[in-house]
Amino acid sequence: MLRSLLVLRQIAQRTISTASRRHFENKVPEKQKLFQEDNGIPVHLKGGVGDALLYKATMILTVGGTAYAIYQLAMASFPKKQA
Amino acid sequence: MTHQTHAYHMVNPSPWPLTGALSALLMTSGLTMWFHFNSNILLTLGLMTNSLTMYQWWRDVVRESTFQGHHTIIVQTGLRYGMILFIMSEVFFFAGFFWAFYHSSLAPTPSLGGYWPPAGINPLNPMEVPLLNTLVLLASGVSITWTHHSLMEGNRKHSLQALLITIFLGIYFTLLQASEYLEAPFTISDSIYGSTFFVATGFHGLHVMIGTTFLTICLLRQLKFHFTSKHHFGFEAAAWYWHFVDVVWLFLYISIYWWGS
Repeated sequence: MLRSLLVLRQIAQRTISTASRRHFENKVPEKQKLFQEDNGIPVHLKGGVGDALLYKATMILTVGGTAYAIYQLAMASFPKKQA
Repeated sequence: MTHQTHAYHMVNPSPWPLTGALSALLMTSGLTMWFHFNSNILLTLGLMTNSLTMYQWWRDVVRESTFQGHHTIIVQTGLRYGMILFIMSEVFFFAGFFWAFYHSSLAPTPSLGGYWPPAGINPLNPMEVPLLNTLVLLASGVSITWTHHSLMEGNRKHSLQALLITIFLGIYFTLLQASEYLEAPFTISDSIYGSTFFVATGFHGLHVMIGTTFLTICLLRQLKFHFTSKHHFGFEAAAWYWHFVDVVWLFLYISIYWWGS
């Protein structure tokens, strides 16, 4: 019984990695390699396709929103005459 | 291949200052449309683009520092000055509201009854939930110091535990304050008392939420091994901000809750 406990303890010790939780492994070196690649891509797009999509979405919303705000300003500046 | 011969950080051209400025336009004009024309689409767009800008801008700062190594000592020094100056500007922001409170409470007008708290106001008992809130924030100051020491000693488990405790205390404070707001026998429209109380404590509560968010980002970064025992300025900035939020509360508690009752 004691022997199987000792074996269990050995297995438990082997499966625990240096990361304190099994989900979190140190991926920083990979990221460092990705973002230090000499490809001339600016940092806000260097992470991949997702970056470009998020950037486009942000631009469309911001610039579109600005156009809409100016339109609303124009509408508000000239009140409709009451019939 | 050209390389820089100085230790400063010349950033890549970035779209976020533009989107940030435009999002500010959308938020302000959005408020106008909401107040005066019963439409909240601009305000929603403004809040969305503001969040998108903040997320991407700060994501890029993490990339430039942790992944690209641009944050040399001299760059870090600049960031330290920047954070200190920002917190100082926030101190002046709150100073205005404390000025308003003391202006009205040191010389209460006849319409208030000539005394403070004004006629008809039942202030909250400073020895009940407000005192608990004080202890919660003071305790969070202790736990965040424990977090820092654990970080500097390279103790991953303890730094994560202590940071988690700090965040939970921040959330606990927010929930307690929310319940106080719902249960309070007076509202923001109850004379200058209500105005000064809710504007000062309200902005403080907002800052607690911002601080809690900042700490949560630090938690995620610490989980992802971004911080080293010698270089973790993002966390230090969050800790400075958190201590500032705590100090503002202490002034609020002493002035408005205690002396003001």
